[in-house]
Amino acid sequence: MSQQKKLLIIDDDPDFVEGLKSILVAAKYSVDAAHNPKDGFQALQSKHYDLLLLDIMMGRGAEGIMLARKLNKDPNLREIPVLIITGIREQIAFLFPGQAVHPHFMPVDELVEKPVEPKLLLDKVSELLQRAQARKAQVK
Amino acid sequence: MVIDDEEVVLDSCREILAGGTYQIATAADGASGLKLVGEFLPDVVFVDLKMPGVSGFQVLEKIRALDPTIVTVVITGYATVNSAVEAMKKGAYDFLPKPFTPEELRLITQRGLERRRLVQETIALRKEKEVLREHFAAIVSHELKSPLGAIQQNLFGLEAELSSRMTESQKNLFQRMKSRIAELLQLIHTLLRVISVDINKLKENFAPVAVTTLVSKAAESVQPHATRKDVEILISHEEPLGHVEGDEGTLVEALVNVMNNAVKYSRLGGKVHIKARQEENSILISITDTGVGISEEDMPYIFGDFYSGKPGPVAERGTGLGLAITRRIVEAHNGSISVESEVGRGSTFVIRLPALKSSVHNQPSLGAETYSDSH
Repeated sequence: MSQQKKLLIIDDDPDFVEGLKSILVAAKYSVDAAHNPKDGFQALQSKHYDLLLLDIMMGRGAEGIMLARKLNKDPNLREIPVLIITGIREQIAFLFPGQAVHPHFMPVDELVEKPVEPKLLLDKVSELLQRAQARKAQVK
Repeated sequence: MVIDDEEVVLDSCREILAGGTYQIATAADGASGLKLVGEFLPDVVFVDLKMPGVSGFQVLEKIRALDPTIVTVVITGYATVNSAVEAMKKGAYDFLPKPFTPEELRLITQRGLERRRLVQETIALRKEKEVLREHFAAIVSHELKSPLGAIQQNLFGLEAELSSRMTESQKNLFQRMKSRIAELLQLIHTLLRVISVDINKLKENFAPVAVTTLVSKAAESVQPHATRKDVEILISHEEPLGHVEGDEGTLVEALVNVMNNAVKYSRLGGKVHIKARQEENSILISITDTGVGISEEDMPYIFGDFYSGKPGPVAERGTGLGLAITRRIVEAHNGSISVESEVGRGSTFVIRLPALKSSVHNQPSLGAETYSDSH
């Protein structure tokens, strides 16, 4: 089995995606990108990914959240660890007033702010991959 | 719409206004008139002041309660000019003296309709403004911050790819670009706070907050900055220290702003003293640094918007909004902020907040919070 982990980025800003991707590729991950939730969902259904990096504000609003909710309802996709990458904390506060800064959408997820420093990004990615693996081992 | 107990008035109004672009409804008494207002949804209502049953004044009052944007005009005989004035004081837009000519009625109707249009437009504009303000933060954050975020992310990527091959001077250039973009992002954050947060709205959620909590939370948040600059933060509390009534989040923010400034304008290895004490009905929190100080000519401007002092000893510059926000927060809590400073010797900022009467804070945790720590 190949050791290279496969990651998918769903973010509607191609420039941001490239910046993110170059850090992940340099760290030896295999990275695909989708620039809208629809393509992203299709990609997740057609191919196995080890981790999803998900933007929140896409299209007409918080479409990233809608996608996360959709994934959470899908028994095949809900186990994928998700790193939510969002513009600002305040946006989360607008969307979920009175809630903690990090709303958990999925069994294994984490939230970081844009832009993400390389070290933080790589730490979070490997931490999420480990957590997902530990969870998988537990379930079996 | 016309409400009048005289049949002849109703008929002549109908006749005069017929043929115009109006829809007309009439009622012969106050009670049926009010019922009709709810169904007909008029733009302008003429109300006779002297009617049997429900009086004209009551009708005016009820219409106002129903929809304050409906324009009301009172119909009155010459004998009741005084009551017409009274009615206008209570919100009627105009009055129509009896007997009136067709021209007078048409003119007043026109004016009334114009008034109604203006009132509705004003309300629509006000609503739009409110919606804009609410959405502004979200829109700006996305539209302004996205490109900056993308630039920064690409810089991060480029740096990660090149890291093993870069010279010290190239790394330095990268550092400069990154920190300027980070500053710009921070500025947008701060601006958004100024625009989108109505500080006076906070008053609705005021609750008792322990002063020790405020100080330690603020100090915790400033600590990384202080550590980077090798500045020591020393905290001392003078017991007994009570509570203040306020919003914990923004009060901490206010303290953080002042403490950050103290660290920013300190020399490497400097000290920042934070002292909290109670003086009768006031809580005084003082933040003293031994940094560069503020010159006398700068003094009048430091609490204004977008004023930023000369860069600190280790080139650092703020958004120029920190103290302005702090002042607003403190004033929203019925407090005040003052400063004393000497160039080259340092500054002391004192935040004064009204203390809560001791009977209010009976939390047992108060004693446990007694500490005086230094990092």
